[in-house]
Amino acid sequence: MALGGVVRGKRTTLRTPTEDDLAAYSSWMADMRVRRAGPIWREPAMPATWKERLKDQAKDQRGVLWSIETDGRLIGLVRAYIGGIESPPAARLQNFIIDPDEWRKGYGWDAALALHRYFFDYLDLKRGFTELRADNVAARRIAEKLGYSEFGRGHQVHYRDGSYVDESWILMERATWDERFGKTEREYVPFGAAR
Amino acid sequence: MFGPRIVGDNGIELRPPVLEDYHFFSTSQMQPEVTRFWGPRFTSETPAAAEERLKKDLEGKNSVLWSIAYQGETVGFTGIFDINWASRDGETGIYIGRHDLYGKGIASEAVRLRMAFIWNEMNFHRAHNWIALANKGSWRANQKSGYSQIGTYPRSWFRSGEWFDEWLGEAFPSTFPPDKLPSPWRDKEHPK
Repeated sequence: MALGGVVRGKRTTLRTPTEDDLAAYSSWMADMRVRRAGPIWREPAMPATWKERLKDQAKDQRGVLWSIETDGRLIGLVRAYIGGIESPPAARLQNFIIDPDEWRKGYGWDAALALHRYFFDYLDLKRGFTELRADNVAARRIAEKLGYSEFGRGHQVHYRDGSYVDESWILMERATWDERFGKTEREYVPFGAAR
Repeated sequence: MFGPRIVGDNGIELRPPVLEDYHFFSTSQMQPEVTRFWGPRFTSETPAAAEERLKKDLEGKNSVLWSIAYQGETVGFTGIFDINWASRDGETGIYIGRHDLYGKGIASEAVRLRMAFIWNEMNFHRAHNWIALANKGSWRANQKSGYSQIGTYPRSWFRSGEWFDEWLGEAFPSTFPPDKLPSPWRDKEHPK
């Protein structure tokens, strides 16, 4: 697990992170637009520290990190915890960061759809869940379009810009994926009778 | 880090853990009675690893932990974890490792002491937790000290053919019942 493999969307590709990506990671973590929108992965740091972090991430048994690119350009990262021993096998999205200079181009939706296809159509997970800052309209739209719905709401959770913002806990079940995307989103063309 | 000693009612107190407590935590977490609503009931922790964990917890900057003692004997632990210092928020948890003591109000008293410390000494803004919905004793203990339900996470735990939902709760300083403030904060001679 640990470092994710290639997952292709229509416009974006999730791929294995490399050391060459780390300078961009660091600059995103230092960007106030990113920090306002949601949780960052790690605090900004020197290159050597980032290299250590990437090594540690590679050893992580359950957390998986991908870089997101479009047309060969790095534009983001996503990190998910994949687990479920006592609970239904699930992916918990921990970080989903798109370079702010690439916002409002549809890359977030494309990468999110591809990632969920990997979760449900490849890993056969039963649910996805995550938390969003309640005022992150773009993330909320993507989540709703995928099929997430709110199951809990924390009040005055995150402090920034001089005040608190609520946190929305959202969940998506496998049945919703099957209903909305099961027929159109496949990792592979099914063999069908040829098996 | 570890929290200070806080003495409550009915022989219950919070105190900084010692190594023997960690051994008790490890062994009690392998018992079926105490893992009905919590934990996978397997471990990779050896006695030597328990010592390492104690050191890590002691040095950790994002949690405050206590042992819960009943009549002088350690019976569980509680604390606040994953602290976000900027938002002054953290996740609280509690565990009683002696199932023969369930129903004696130990958890309720431990939560009361813990929350009084969090609000009065740490200047926190909020605390939150997730508890198995069927574990009424636990979420009621938290409710008595000001937690309220903010959601339900469906089908979180599987036990004996049943799925259990999870109770999501949060608390604020303003929701702590003022008449339940423990000593030393309620004491007249305690400096305000």
